[in-house]
Amino acid sequence: MNLAATGLACAVAIGVLTALAALVVPARSAVVGVGTVLSGAAAMLAGCAAMSGVSFVVALPALLPLSGMLFTLDALGGLFVAVTGAVAVAVGVYGISYTRAPDLRARGVQAVLPLFVVAMVLVPAAASAGAFLVCWELMALFSLLLVVAEHRRRPEVASAGRWYAVMTHLGFLSVLIGLMVFVARAGDDSFSALRDSARHLSPLVAGVVFVLALLGFASKAGIVPLHAWLPRAHPEAPSHVSALMSAAMVNLGVYGLVRVGFDLLGGGPVWWWLLVLVLGAVSAVYGILQAAMSTDLKRLLGQSTTENMGLVLVGVGAAGLFASSGNRTLAGLALVAALLHVVGHAAFKTLLFLAAGSVLHATGTRDLDELGGLRPVMPVTTAAFGLGALAASALPPGTAFVSEWLLLQALIHGLPASGVAAAVAMPVAVAAVALTAGLAVATFVKAFGVGFLAKPRSAAAAGAHESPVTMLAGMGIAAVACAVLALAPAVVLPGIEAAARVAGDPAVSGAVTLRLTGVTGALSPVLLGLALIVAVVALAGVVRVVATHRVRREARLWDCGGGPMSPRMEYTATSFAEPLQRVFDDVVQPELDVDVTHHEESRYLVRAVEYRRKVPDRIERRLYQPVLRFVATCGERGRVLATGSVHRYLGYGFYTVCGLLLLLAVTR
Amino acid sequence: MSALGVVGGIAQPVLIVAGSPLLVGVMRQVRARLEGRAGAGVRQPWRDLRKLLRKETITPRGTSEVFRIAPLLLVATSLVVAVVVPFVTTDSAIDPVADLFAVVALLALGAVALALAGLDTGTAFGGMGASREMTILALVEPTLLVAIFALSVRVGSTNLGAIVSSTLHDPARVLSPASLLAAVALIVVIVAETGRLPVDNPSTHLELTMVHEAMVLEYAGPDLALIELASAMRLSVFLGLLANLFLPWGIATAATPAALVVGVLALVVKVGLLGVVLAAGEVFLAKLRLFRVPELLAGSFLLALLAVAASYFLA
Amino acid sequence: MSETLYVQLLDLACGGLLLTAVLVLWRRELAVIIRVFAVQGAALAALVAVLATREGSAELWAVAVGVLVLRAGVLPHLLRRALAGAGEARRETRPLVNVAASLLAAAVLTLLAYAVSQPLVALSPSAATQAIPVGVTVVLIGFFVLVTRRRALSQLVGFLLMDNGITAVGFLTTAGVGLVVELGVSLDVLLAVLVLQILTSRMRETFGDTDLDELRELRD
Repeated sequence: MNLAATGLACAVAIGVLTALAALVVPARSAVVGVGTVLSGAAAMLAGCAAMSGVSFVVALPALLPLSGMLFTLDALGGLFVAVTGAVAVAVGVYGISYTRAPDLRARGVQAVLPLFVVAMVLVPAAASAGAFLVCWELMALFSLLLVVAEHRRRPEVASAGRWYAVMTHLGFLSVLIGLMVFVARAGDDSFSALRDSARHLSPLVAGVVFVLALLGFASKAGIVPLHAWLPRAHPEAPSHVSALMSAAMVNLGVYGLVRVGFDLLGGGPVWWWLLVLVLGAVSAVYGILQAAMSTDLKRLLGQSTTENMGLVLVGVGAAGLFASSGNRTLAGLALVAALLHVVGHAAFKTLLFLAAGSVLHATGTRDLDELGGLRPVMPVTTAAFGLGALAASALPPGTAFVSEWLLLQALIHGLPASGVAAAVAMPVAVAAVALTAGLAVATFVKAFGVGFLAKPRSAAAAGAHESPVTMLAGMGIAAVACAVLALAPAVVLPGIEAAARVAGDPAVSGAVTLRLTGVTGALSPVLLGLALIVAVVALAGVVRVVATHRVRREARLWDCGGGPMSPRMEYTATSFAEPLQRVFDDVVQPELDVDVTHHEESRYLVRAVEYRRKVPDRIERRLYQPVLRFVATCGERGRVLATGSVHRYLGYGFYTVCGLLLLLAVTR
Repeated sequence: MSALGVVGGIAQPVLIVAGSPLLVGVMRQVRARLEGRAGAGVRQPWRDLRKLLRKETITPRGTSEVFRIAPLLLVATSLVVAVVVPFVTTDSAIDPVADLFAVVALLALGAVALALAGLDTGTAFGGMGASREMTILALVEPTLLVAIFALSVRVGSTNLGAIVSSTLHDPARVLSPASLLAAVALIVVIVAETGRLPVDNPSTHLELTMVHEAMVLEYAGPDLALIELASAMRLSVFLGLLANLFLPWGIATAATPAALVVGVLALVVKVGLLGVVLAAGEVFLAKLRLFRVPELLAGSFLLALLAVAASYFLA
Repeated sequence: MSETLYVQLLDLACGGLLLTAVLVLWRRELAVIIRVFAVQGAALAALVAVLATREGSAELWAVAVGVLVLRAGVLPHLLRRALAGAGEARRETRPLVNVAASLLAAAVLTLLAYAVSQPLVALSPSAATQAIPVGVTVVLIGFFVLVTRRRALSQLVGFLLMDNGITAVGFLTTAGVGLVVELGVSLDVLLAVLVLQILTSRMRETFGDTDLDELRELRD
């Protein structure tokens, strides 16, 4: 048994044992926390070993009747296992004190968390369609249980859970059908058999398999128009679960797409990847636009997940486009950019969700319009969220900056490389990425500036307190990961390059300076960061020397000579987003509502003005409502069948079985 | 890192720091003369800075480190850009940072720092300025990046040194439709990013129209001096970038004293001329309504996209 | 004329065509739109002149001069006269699609034009044929103006923009439509403008406005 196999086995064993322990031990939070950390660390080890070339194959024929379960770990799977493990480590530490809340201490909820991690670790390790689908379904079930953990206290959780359950299973169905069509042609369900048979697949069948898989995986990754569950389920789940879902689970959608599209089907025609690219670009822009309008801190983060997965899909689509036109260097570059963004997004989204959980823990509200003034009372959480916001907004020296730079390099160099499709797609993709980057900056300035700085906007925010030390430690782990990825992405690049072999050749080299191979381009994030720090320190010194008065004096806010300021005069998240909302009025179509109440004595004296703004998800309204209405109508019609007689219900079953047997007898 | 790069890395920031307040002085003087006023003289911005540096540093109650660090970060970003971008010499002191995307993102970082400081004060003005600034920034970004795309597609690199040298070697390229369209798009973007008319009026203090000024209302003393210096530096950096991307002639390609002197003079003349043209143009412009700005930026985005298109339409 | 100079001048003329088409979409003042249209006429004439120098053909030169006179002189003059009679309505205040959105639409149209004209370019790749997408773009933008603007005058400009685009494509594909054909087309255009001008003034007399939405009333 090599390192990869041992690590994976340990991760699974520890996870399952922790779950069992959680059912019997009284100090559940600590046990589950430590168990999740150990399981995650073992998975990380296994993933890293796999990325450095250690591999194994395990066949477990007894586990699943007929086909058995087959597990392996290659570089691509290893990358996703390692990312999941790393997120689990931070979440485990954070959970030790976070899960002391009454709803989260429940035995069942505690036991499911390590099992969820185990399922997520096993998905990228599956080497047969059967094993993959079983793990995928387990992952969906466990995450569903975790999403509805707090359903007793908050009714909206139940609705979120329903949305999630339905959409994730429709997605599963789509993947299931796609893979089964593929398996039927190949005759065997192991990935190696599928890989071999891909060459003999007719273009039509391959296209059907790809589109079905894309639908399923895109719904898991929260890609527009299958994103409706994501901004519901991610915010309603407990924050450490949100982090696991948003930073680790959505990635597996990307994994599935890369695995099926590049590895199993061996690439494909241009239109597949153009479709992926367009879906990615639309998701990126739409996701961040919704986030820019949002005033719910966790919902905003969930919508930003849609945005980031969109950017990843732009990279994956571009990689496919280049690969299908035979340019393996650029394909490698684009896929490396996409996978680096997956890793970076996992780091900063973990950090952001954990920090948001800390805010929720301290204030009991997620509404940005009621937050503010957290900096003096929650300095560590504020710093953590600030770092995460910098990482998410693609500014240097942030985490997403490096991956978006690589992505833009791939798009720019791709223009002269390939035909008309690329010539039209590349400029649009660059514009979409740029608009996304710009809106992301505005979104995270809003989230950080309104949520944490200035003065408290409500009593809840004023009475906030810093979180316990293990929660801070969990954020600390994610923060270190963010910083390392931002300044020294070369640490993870060899692993990512190994994973990106499925589509193209290695494309980036260098430790301090990232140099692109095959095309010109170089960037040194660490030098950039250093230059900034040196400049700030030098300037501070110069100002100290030059300025005559060295001591800072505190004074009351000037505010243009206005009277004492009250928190009600501050800009809120709603007012901050107002100009953007006006600019994109035609796209988001917000619902505005202004109520003016007058004094009783005179109509001319206004007593109060109430302003409400709701930004409904337009795609959801246009696309989902008709479907929901149709289903509801069918349900109404179907009531004829349900008379309340148990005999009749049992009879339906009996008639159906007999009918099917008859059909079988006739058609054979 | 070449000798030429090191010399440039020292000469450029010195030149930009010393010269940018003078550029602002020249622009104000031009405006004053065209409007029939005497003007305060070219050196007035420097006198203002000296006066501010001698005053007390005030921290408004209830603000955090963000408020205190923002001015430093704002100047630092402009300073790093001044070091790495090929203004006087074609080589850069820190070549792997002299990337067009990195430079643009650095300048955006400065704007973000200031917007956060505006929000940190908690005043309505601060929030208003921050909100407007971020809206404009978000809309400018696509234009900027697509214009960069148009410029770098033919060179095959986003490295500024590479773009400048390739234009030096192939002067005919400047007159191609792609680069002309990109130039127009970039001019609009620069006007928006540096807060000049018609997007923002640098001399207004009317609440309905303020963008940049609204964010810095609470600053005083040396902090304000830093912010004033930074906005002057951002203006010169952007104009310098514009000048050298499209008209790089005169820039030093060798580390000889004569070449360097020519390089410095060329930059001063180019940026000075652009500044004068900008100031003269502003006299005839009125500020655009805030909600007409997206229209302006959409137009400039279209031009940038046409520049990309033209670079392969008319290849 | 050297090859590079020829290509450069040709590209510049095409760039001018493109830029003026965009400006028509961008600006609201009708007077400015007419001026921009005149500049586009000049750019088109320049394009023909460049081709004429290249071919060394006197006939093409004559066409260039004709284009200049008609499209940069006569047509703008007629439009200006129509505008002078229009009274209050000097601005395209509320186009059916707002200006920012129509600019973005133009971006999409450009890419569309590029995609559809690739087969044409592939027939005989040369500097002139590679500029065909520019002509197609101008046609599409002209059509877009025709569809989305309310004032009769700006619609007229949209129509003329389309014609400019078609002419440009014609010259770029064959380098010479022939004097007679060009003459015929020009006369057609002139006639159309005159008819529309009369129509505009009649509309104004009847409705007091040139907002074409008012024509809906005729149906009832």
